[in-house]
Amino acid sequence: MVHSTADESSLPSGRNSPKPQPARIWSLSEPPFEGVRPVDSQGYRQSTPDTAIVIDNGSSAVRAGWSFDQNPRVSLPPLMARYRDRKLNRTFMFCGSDIYADGTARGQAKNAYEPGSNIVNNWDVIEGVLDYVFIKLGIDGSAGRIDRPVVMTEPVANLGYARKTMSEILFELYGAPSVAYGIDSLFSYSYNGGRNGLVISSSYMSTHVIPVAERKPMLSHATRLNWGRFQSAEYLQRLLRLKYPSFPGKISDTQAEDLVREHCYISQDYESEINKYLDWTGLEDRDHVIQCPFTEQVVVQKSEEELARAAEKRKEGGRRLQEQAAKMRLEKLIRKEQELEYYKSLQEGLVDLPKKEVKRRLDADDFDDEGQLDRRIKDMEKSIRKARNKDVGDAVEEEIETPTFPLLDVPDEQLDEEGLRQKRGQRLMKSNYDARARAKAEKEREKARVAEEERLDNERRETDLSGWVEERRIARQAIIQKIKDRERLKADLGNRKSLANQSRMKAIANLASDDKTKKRRRGGDDDNFGADDADWGVYRTIATGEQSDEEEEEDLSANLKNIEAQLLKHDPNFTEQSTREAQTDWTKSLMHAFLHGPWPFDPESQRDLHQVHLNVERIRVPEVVFQPSIAGIDQAGIVEIAAGILTERLADSPHRSEILKDIFLTGGNTLFRGFEDRLRSELRAVLPADSPLGIRRANHPGLDAWKGAAWWSSQPASRDAFITRADFEEKGHDYIKEHDLGNSYT
Amino acid sequence: MAPITQASDDSNHQALLDKLDIYAVRKPWRTPHWKPPQRRNKNVKQIIAEASRKEASVMATQNNSGTSTPLPAYSSMATGGLATPVNGADGNLSIAQAAQNLSTLVLEKNLRSSGASGGPAVTYTNIESAPSLHPSSQKRYCDITGLSAPYTDPKSRLRYHDKEVFAAIRTLGQAATEGYLAARGAHTVLK
Repeated sequence: MVHSTADESSLPSGRNSPKPQPARIWSLSEPPFEGVRPVDSQGYRQSTPDTAIVIDNGSSAVRAGWSFDQNPRVSLPPLMARYRDRKLNRTFMFCGSDIYADGTARGQAKNAYEPGSNIVNNWDVIEGVLDYVFIKLGIDGSAGRIDRPVVMTEPVANLGYARKTMSEILFELYGAPSVAYGIDSLFSYSYNGGRNGLVISSSYMSTHVIPVAERKPMLSHATRLNWGRFQSAEYLQRLLRLKYPSFPGKISDTQAEDLVREHCYISQDYESEINKYLDWTGLEDRDHVIQCPFTEQVVVQKSEEELARAAEKRKEGGRRLQEQAAKMRLEKLIRKEQELEYYKSLQEGLVDLPKKEVKRRLDADDFDDEGQLDRRIKDMEKSIRKARNKDVGDAVEEEIETPTFPLLDVPDEQLDEEGLRQKRGQRLMKSNYDARARAKAEKEREKARVAEEERLDNERRETDLSGWVEERRIARQAIIQKIKDRERLKADLGNRKSLANQSRMKAIANLASDDKTKKRRRGGDDDNFGADDADWGVYRTIATGEQSDEEEEEDLSANLKNIEAQLLKHDPNFTEQSTREAQTDWTKSLMHAFLHGPWPFDPESQRDLHQVHLNVERIRVPEVVFQPSIAGIDQAGIVEIAAGILTERLADSPHRSEILKDIFLTGGNTLFRGFEDRLRSELRAVLPADSPLGIRRANHPGLDAWKGAAWWSSQPASRDAFITRADFEEKGHDYIKEHDLGNSYT
Repeated sequence: MAPITQASDDSNHQALLDKLDIYAVRKPWRTPHWKPPQRRNKNVKQIIAEASRKEASVMATQNNSGTSTPLPAYSSMATGGLATPVNGADGNLSIAQAAQNLSTLVLEKNLRSSGASGGPAVTYTNIESAPSLHPSSQKRYCDITGLSAPYTDPKSRLRYHDKEVFAAIRTLGQAATEGYLAARGAHTVLK
């Protein structure tokens, strides 16, 4: 891992500088189909009736071969699919990785082991797997039985029922002359020349720690942790499902296992490494991108010409709409202005009139009193001013010379039909023109007002900068608070039990109820709703969703931008970093780093949507062996187990110092990078300072169990450990003979 | 169904399946009329439950023979097996006495055999690692990101790293919350 510290240099905005595209993108593995395996009968021809068939009955792979072999001849995952194809009217049976050749077979496949435990659960699958093994080993079987002794591995402290059933299959179904059982990790240890040591075997379904003294396992001290690579893969899958809840692709079990194998490693200092894992520096190296297959959405490419034409069309349409809208606005404005004119004249007319007359006139126009009229006039003025500003905004000053309307002064009587029509037209045009002129004047005035305000503001800033800044900051804070409040309210309304939602419900109930309990003493039925404009706010509070809020939100963010721009200009302490945009930038987001690494994420892109980013998972998943509580396993971790055995249970064993010198790692789950080093440093921390400590790993952590079993069975000394068919029938179906590499018989 | 690997296409897929299929292969070593016992596929829980039931019943019979029956004077248990008790009634043991004698003998044999193996037998259940007592098992990690988690959301009981993760937690639905808790084994299990 090479990380450059150069990209630590952040931009002046305080945002993190973008990273170059990921150097490597991983993909998911193909189904592990291994092709047709030929029958290998050479071994059978070489064998004698005394040569044992050695089967490492593992939960990740069943490996089988002859006791004289260096390597197993057959290796297959303990899977079987047996189903009847109705169309062809025939039964199929596939074993091992062959099931990956066909979709139906894979769908029908069953595992021999109970998921998450090292005990066989499906004996039909075991039968199928053994059939497959015997076929591929080219066993003749003309005598109606396999006719060779069988050596098989079994879990530590295997359950009696499991052994009994296995023996029944081997003796009764396959007619094996004799059978011996042993523990896989002990085979591995003896194959690696162990004499006194602590065997730590972390394999597919479980992890075992077994002390061995003078080649004899101390099984009463053996300890099992229910965690292995299978559980790791399952945990990773679970984490990924939670991390990307709407992930469109699918990650199969074998793919998850491959992800664990390829990307995970044991952290040397988990606590501090995990906390720095999502830091920006070097994140591009720590974050592994897995691309799942996806189909890019096809975007129809239009030619240049077509695009231009479409754009033109759109523009044309827009223009027409704008014109229409402007015309309509103008008409409305004129109408309003006329109304205003009328009300103003009404107001002027009221000045010298007696009260009664005033009342009559007001009533005629539906006003209660003069105040209301006043208010109406003010409202209208305001809205007209607003409309004008808007209008002039886009209405370009076209008419420079003042048009003349000569016909307007001519009385109607002097005009004929044609003249009258023209006069009407001119009148309309004149009012149009007048309205524009008024709007322009209004805008000028507004501009002046704004300029004046700004001047005052500048003055104030120059005289009292700190006060001004303070004011702005408070204003900015208020806007941010408002935005946050809005977000919270939105989130709360989604929750049925939240306070916001309950008060909303109450408001609705109040509005709907015809509550007559409050007796209205005076007056009739009128509840004065609407007399105060704020009354209508109730509809806003009961409306959910974003109907009305959008405009306001835009307003808020525009305001915020404005204030921030001012602050940036004048406040020396307010930098790019302090702007809200910079603070909420994705490059600073922990969640973004967690979900999408140091690269931008485009929710529209199928490519991005089909990506999985492995970052903290890379150390979080394999860490469980050391800290099972992470995954909710209520067991002690591997170091605590080992330390407990070494310092307490073996405290007064004469072999203790020998055992300490040989901590032996085997099993596929110990293959993680850093496993050995981590174990060494943690054990060193809990052991007495001067005690010797040696840790080593099996030559082939996966294969050595089989090799050890083969080697053992080729030794004449092992003959005593075989049980014969007669033993099986006489001493019980779960009977075994105890030996140095096997379980004890209970 | 269509092939799922690159190893074959539609045209040769059936041929490949024929080659892989081991149902049709002759298996002469199988005993032809052997029938597996009924319901032999059991999960670990069932097996352990059955084993412990059996053990309990054996224990009960041993208890009967050992404690509820007072040991007669001529038992080797009572005399330490060294001295042969002087008993004039040797010749006329009643049947009840003989049965007592037999059960005592069984008990003695059992005691000897269990005494020889030294300590409790190693079983699948008792080699399981015990719950951790180490303080490191109390460490808390963020349920979402896996970073260290100084805080716990009182509503969902999720542990979280900082306020940004908290904001994300608050947008989670019930199912996602339960999912995160289940990953840590702290979810509610309805029985």
